[in-house]
Amino acid sequence: MLPLSLLKTAQGHPMLVELKNGETYNGHLVNCDTWMNIHLREVICTSKDGDRFWRMPECYIRGNTIKYLRVPDEVIDKVQEETKSRSDRKPPGVGRGRGRGGREDGPGGRQTKGIGRGLDDGGSKGAGGGRGRGGPGGKAGGGRGGGRGRA
Amino acid sequence: MSGRKETVLDLAKFVDKGVQVKLTGGRQVTGTLKGYDQLLNLVLDEAVEFLRDSDDPLKTTDQTRRLGLIVCRGTAVMLVSPTDGTDEIANPFSQPDGA
Repeated sequence: MLPLSLLKTAQGHPMLVELKNGETYNGHLVNCDTWMNIHLREVICTSKDGDRFWRMPECYIRGNTIKYLRVPDEVIDKVQEETKSRSDRKPPGVGRGRGRGGREDGPGGRQTKGIGRGLDDGGSKGAGGGRGRGGPGGKAGGGRGGGRGRA
Repeated sequence: MSGRKETVLDLAKFVDKGVQVKLTGGRQVTGTLKGYDQLLNLVLDEAVEFLRDSDDPLKTTDQTRRLGLIVCRGTAVMLVSPTDGTDEIANPFSQPDGA
């Protein structure tokens, strides 16, 4: 179980968040993201020494200021179901970059930046080099190709 | 690209409203939110800083300092909340007598 999956599952539940500075925030989790930034609703803020309290309708807390969060016990039952289904639907890795490079009909000037240079090697030198020299569009992809062309 | 627009809280609803911002290091500022970006840099107008107790920097005092128009750097922003509806209250966790 990942900490962030637990947190994600805890959406809608009440929780306590303690910040690094010692303040605590009790509220219902509305949303969270992969940086642990969180959005709470119906919040009660407690000062570090625990003798002042504020009520606020909602608040946004930056993830990197959080020391820890207390979530209700029942959340753990829900998170396990989700992790199972998540592992089921995880797709196998797909080769990245497939189909990139060597795309000679790409929109002019926006040549994918030199990716697939390896594939191009030799064969499409004329095309790539020529375009690179042609205009400023060759900037990215032409780093190498353009130079070659000029020489 | 991906991962940029996704903010947990849409600050758009706070624009032109009063917000309270806590910054790392303990400064606390309120002001009218005039703008923001995805890094949580904020533009606050008529910003007021709540000065802190010199003996105990964790405590804010009633003393304030007017800052005017400011940009809060996103990396220093710890907490954002609307000032509307934010009030100091009595201990809501204290148990009634005998509990």
